[in-house]
Amino acid sequence: MAEATVSGSHTQPRARARRRNLRLWLSAAWLLLLVVAAVFAPLIAPHDPLAQDLMLERLPPMGLSGAEPGFLLGTDSLGRDVLSRLIFGARIALTVALIAASAACLAGSVLGLLAGYFGGWVDRIVSRLVDVWMAFPPVLFSILLVAVLGTGLTSVILAIAIIDWTRFARVVRAETLVQSRMDYVHSARIGGASRLAILAGEVLPNVLPTIVALLALEMGVAVIVEAILSFVNLSISSDMPTWGGMIAEGRASIHFSWWVLAAPLVVLFLTVLAFSQLGEGLKARFDPLMR
Amino acid sequence: MSRHHNPPVDASAPTLQVEGLNVAVRGGPALLRAVSLTVQPGEVRALVGESGAGKSMIGKAVLGVLPRGIEQASGSIRLQGASLEALSPAARRQTVASVASLIPQDPLTALNPSRRIGGQITDRLVRRLGWSSRDAHARALELLDRVYIRDPARVMAAYPHELSGGMRQRVLIAAAFAPRPSLIVADEPTTALDVTVQKQILQLIRELQAETGTAVLFVTHDMGVVAKVSQTVTVLFDGKVMEDAPTAQLLAQPGHPYTRALIAATPRYTHPHEPLRPVPDELVARLRQEVARGDANTAGATRTAA
Repeated sequence: MAEATVSGSHTQPRARARRRNLRLWLSAAWLLLLVVAAVFAPLIAPHDPLAQDLMLERLPPMGLSGAEPGFLLGTDSLGRDVLSRLIFGARIALTVALIAASAACLAGSVLGLLAGYFGGWVDRIVSRLVDVWMAFPPVLFSILLVAVLGTGLTSVILAIAIIDWTRFARVVRAETLVQSRMDYVHSARIGGASRLAILAGEVLPNVLPTIVALLALEMGVAVIVEAILSFVNLSISSDMPTWGGMIAEGRASIHFSWWVLAAPLVVLFLTVLAFSQLGEGLKARFDPLMR
Repeated sequence: MSRHHNPPVDASAPTLQVEGLNVAVRGGPALLRAVSLTVQPGEVRALVGESGAGKSMIGKAVLGVLPRGIEQASGSIRLQGASLEALSPAARRQTVASVASLIPQDPLTALNPSRRIGGQITDRLVRRLGWSSRDAHARALELLDRVYIRDPARVMAAYPHELSGGMRQRVLIAAAFAPRPSLIVADEPTTALDVTVQKQILQLIRELQAETGTAVLFVTHDMGVVAKVSQTVTVLFDGKVMEDAPTAQLLAQPGHPYTRALIAATPRYTHPHEPLRPVPDELVARLRQEVARGDANTAGATRTAA
């Protein structure tokens, strides 16, 4: 009975933990780079992203024959610098990712927590609402919403938040349901804690890793949705460079200048990947069982 | 060391008095049928029965943590003379928090995995019972030391997954005794542990009970445990009390055929080759009929009364 000490040993294979950490840091580094680029875009971008020069149209990226110095990633069919447009496009992408995902996260998580914890009619209302919501195909729904709300940054953000809160509500509800049946909730209840105190103090900390992971994932989704809306020209007016808009324009000239399509695609891909990897990494970080 | 904060209570009243307790699934079958039992101050009462007999339900009803959809249909529960049904939900919570504790069945899920041990012991002392956080911290250290945890300060700062199952159960025992409760409901506290640890935990609960004089409602299905820890026993079958007697008397001369069958069913480690003797099916069937008839009778009685 006396051999009781805290076992400080970590049974986790360290190699796996390190690999996970590497992914986390790479993702975080890429996203940090994007944030810096977006914030200081006017200082960093080598050219005006809107300046057209038909003498410099369809210049290939550096390293290919015919490239001009100063145009690192080449130019598009109107002679605009691709790199500068990507940098300015990051502003829109990140703004939408941050605000839309946070709004969806807040609304969905609160509803999911309440539904999962209180059950009964609260759960029934939230769950049916989620069912009805998810019956709409998301892309059509967002196009419809933007058509109704009008184009513009606010509309795009609103549309994403209105559509994607269900992701959070569903997952958070399920997780809360599991956690709120655990014995530690009973113990807190016997200890005299009120329901809201238990929800905030006991259940939420256990659901938080899931919420954080979803939030990062949702930021990636928001970036894609914004790109889709820009692609169909329903997002921001075309005097602002967006990744989706660039992809749409690049598609038209893919046979003459593939880089105009490839550059925004690669950046979009890396960004979404980074967000999802960040979500995974953060979940592992937050979860005491995986620490 | 610290002020002991308790609501006004009747000192001469039994610690726990349950009378005619009926608990049922809402709009469904009865789980407890007119259960009455009393736990006097300092008494250890065992509550035995097979799985599904409703023994844990009694503890849950007393502590106010019945599962969703299961309700106390009628009957009264008094904690130190205070009738719980008469209280508002908030007052009921406060009364339970200051009088009763639970030692839960499964130490693996009874501690919040994302919170450190210390807070999980001291929360109730500080938030419900008005202790200063320094007093609560000292009390938690004292109790952890008392349950033979080496380096209590380190355990206070640890997360549950850093402790073994037996250690977690000891932490939970410390947490249960920390607020100096008058009643502890021990809900099969050794079921989830291996046999050697079971013995230590049982011994520990007995020690602390003897030291503090806390009354205990000890829920178990193990007659061997009953013999070791309790002074009185209530035998439960299908939500109905079969027999209620002092432990020594009940084990020596069981009054009810079901009690006899339960005692006979207890495996004896001294005779490892003996076949197991489960409670005979005929007896179970007959008792079920009787219990069902009792339900019908009471239902008929209320109907004629109405």
